[in-house]
Amino acid sequence: MRYVLRRLMQSVPTVFGVLLVTFVLFHVVSGSPAVLVLGQNAAPLSLEEFDEQKGFNKPLLAGRWVRTRAFADADFHKRVDSLDEIEGVEHVRSGAGAGWLKIRQGGVLPVPLAFPLRSHTAYRWEMAGRLAEGGEAVWITRFAGGREKTNTLAAASSRGRIRVDVPACDAAITEARLVVLRGEMDLRHLRLRRAVPRWWDSQLVFYFRQLARLDLGVSAATNQPVARMLAEGLGPSLALTVPIFLVGLAAAVSLALLCAYTHGGWPDRLILGVAVTLMSVNYLVWIVVGQFVFAYKLGWFPVWGFESWRHLALPVLIGVISGLGADTRFYRAIMLEEIGRDYVRTAKAKGVKPFGMLFRHVLRNAMIPISTHVAMTIPFLYTGSLLLESFFGIPGLGGVGINAINSADVDVVRGVVLVGSVLYILAGIISDVVYMWLDPRVRLR
Amino acid sequence: MSVEGTIGPVPRGGTWAAVRHAVCGSRAARVCAGVIALFVAAALYGEAVYCWHRWRDQTPSYQRVHLDERYLPPSVLRRSRPTAESNTGTDQRPMGVRRLLYRPLGTDNLGRDVLQRLIQGARIAFLVGIITATIAIPIGTALGCLAGYFGGRVDDGIMWLNSTIAAIPGLLLVLAVAMVVGKGLTGVYLGIGLTTWVGLCRIVRAEVLKQREQGYVLAAKVLGYGSFRILFRHILPNVAHLALVTFSLRFPAAIGTEVFLSFLGIGAQGEPSWGVMLSNARLRLWQGAWWELTAVTLAIVLVVLAFNLLGDRLRDALDPRVS
Repeated sequence: MRYVLRRLMQSVPTVFGVLLVTFVLFHVVSGSPAVLVLGQNAAPLSLEEFDEQKGFNKPLLAGRWVRTRAFADADFHKRVDSLDEIEGVEHVRSGAGAGWLKIRQGGVLPVPLAFPLRSHTAYRWEMAGRLAEGGEAVWITRFAGGREKTNTLAAASSRGRIRVDVPACDAAITEARLVVLRGEMDLRHLRLRRAVPRWWDSQLVFYFRQLARLDLGVSAATNQPVARMLAEGLGPSLALTVPIFLVGLAAAVSLALLCAYTHGGWPDRLILGVAVTLMSVNYLVWIVVGQFVFAYKLGWFPVWGFESWRHLALPVLIGVISGLGADTRFYRAIMLEEIGRDYVRTAKAKGVKPFGMLFRHVLRNAMIPISTHVAMTIPFLYTGSLLLESFFGIPGLGGVGINAINSADVDVVRGVVLVGSVLYILAGIISDVVYMWLDPRVRLR
Repeated sequence: MSVEGTIGPVPRGGTWAAVRHAVCGSRAARVCAGVIALFVAAALYGEAVYCWHRWRDQTPSYQRVHLDERYLPPSVLRRSRPTAESNTGTDQRPMGVRRLLYRPLGTDNLGRDVLQRLIQGARIAFLVGIITATIAIPIGTALGCLAGYFGGRVDDGIMWLNSTIAAIPGLLLVLAVAMVVGKGLTGVYLGIGLTTWVGLCRIVRAEVLKQREQGYVLAAKVLGYGSFRILFRHILPNVAHLALVTFSLRFPAAIGTEVFLSFLGIGAQGEPSWGVMLSNARLRLWQGAWWELTAVTLAIVLVVLAFNLLGDRLRDALDPRVS
């Protein structure tokens, strides 16, 4: 018991690592999940709402300012066509592909917003540029209701960074413009940042807090909580994988016993050859051919659906066959190793019948490595039938996972990965405990 | 496979002698090596065809659609039926000429040659196997060496990373990486390459732990060599065979994963990978076109079987403990 507790404690860093990996995978690397789910051409407002709901608009690890989708970062190195028409604003080229925007005296640069910015939130405009000596420019912010606020642009610092802070206000910002009153102004880029109320409230914290509530998020495709989708899928999945597991185990162990019994003879070699060949046939082929031949051509089984045991028979059969080769080979190696041990020779010398020896001595001892192997395959009951399920229309976790991957449903994929990993870690602990329980000589520390 | 009663002399003379013995030692192994050589040749030919068409900037011959030649069954000798539509290329033969090995494996639903597509599939399969190995093997070997040699904090950190990656169900992680990186072969390479180094890392670490205590390491230390010199100049050659064994056993697995991903539509895009062909042939099966599926299946089985058998022999010859 103390050992189990200690193992649980030891697995905490691994669980933390898994969480970090999923975080890195889905938050850091993946680009914008909103674009992934809603598509490239989605309206900025719906993207912003998606981000807000899933916490993707927070800073990644920590920070005070974040982007907003209302105004995409504008870089005037390249020419912006929509600005050509505006009086007093022109693009100056310098060298290949570089340049900046020049705003003449009296020129007005409109800054359109894709949607009104939220009220009660501070915003900051960040510019890189230069105001000519003695020049004067103002930043005019227009609020909902027609009110306007004017900020005078501070003289540029040495690095040419100009900031305009718009403090929190009870009305939403609908528009902004830059007016150069005197002199000229060069502008290289323009960015809008939103202030975050709490700097530590990052995506990582949001993610961990969400998981701490055992909330795996909401599916973007079906709008259902992921936890409920997984729970609903578990039943059909188990109905498929548990029979595969049990039948497969029985078949593989008995074939391995037969191999061990006739070691070196023709049944052994035949089974071994067939097992290696079975291993090499792709899983997909079993499904495609099995479904076509047995369900469609011969009509022995229903082709598709999840209604009665008859619907499950064919997927189970395919699952067993596709796993049989590798398992048989593995168990055979274990048994042959046991047969080579001294106690077997002693038993033989005592005159124990080969059959009794096989069952009473070899199998019982081989059960130890076999059972640890079996415990490690438990997580595959959860993920092992990805394809079987989607092919035979079984509404299990595999089907859920495949659909989620096809529709880029980030939260569901993340949930499936997380639950699978936790199961795997638990199975590792169970396998060690089983090992200790079966083999009293082993003392795990 | 266990090794009882090794036939023939025990190979002496280092790793390469053992490899040569494993590959040429028995008839079965020679057949396997021959099959692999055949596929390598096919893949190289496929690469040449691919490069040629890319250089000429034209639709590759294995992608060209011949609507009048749809669903031709496999045959050795057939009457070609060229029409105006298929006469666009060099194919200026009169009606009804018997041609040997014209579309020998038949054509698919768009009249594309199955054999040519199969060869392209072999090209992609080998590409996936080699590129994933070149990602996974250096990572696994280097991390395993560092963890085994330095121990302590380094070991803890690397093993933490290792057990973390190992805890995530492999196929799901590959799928997630492929999804995040985006559809296409790049996602497949990264997904497989960045997740399969963990097994090799563990094996190498265990071996380095053992090698570290050997006399030659002590001798190198006494000579005042630096840690990295000892590790990478002296210990690494003694654990390099593990990488070879892992490569030969990971190769078929990588091919299988690529087929799986391409089948799901996440892998190869617009190229006839075996997975793409399989998912295509699956639909044609219901219309009675069995040959494409059979050809792809046989190709996969042959190459995977050959690699499995040869990998087993290599493992037995080089390192019986790796499993």
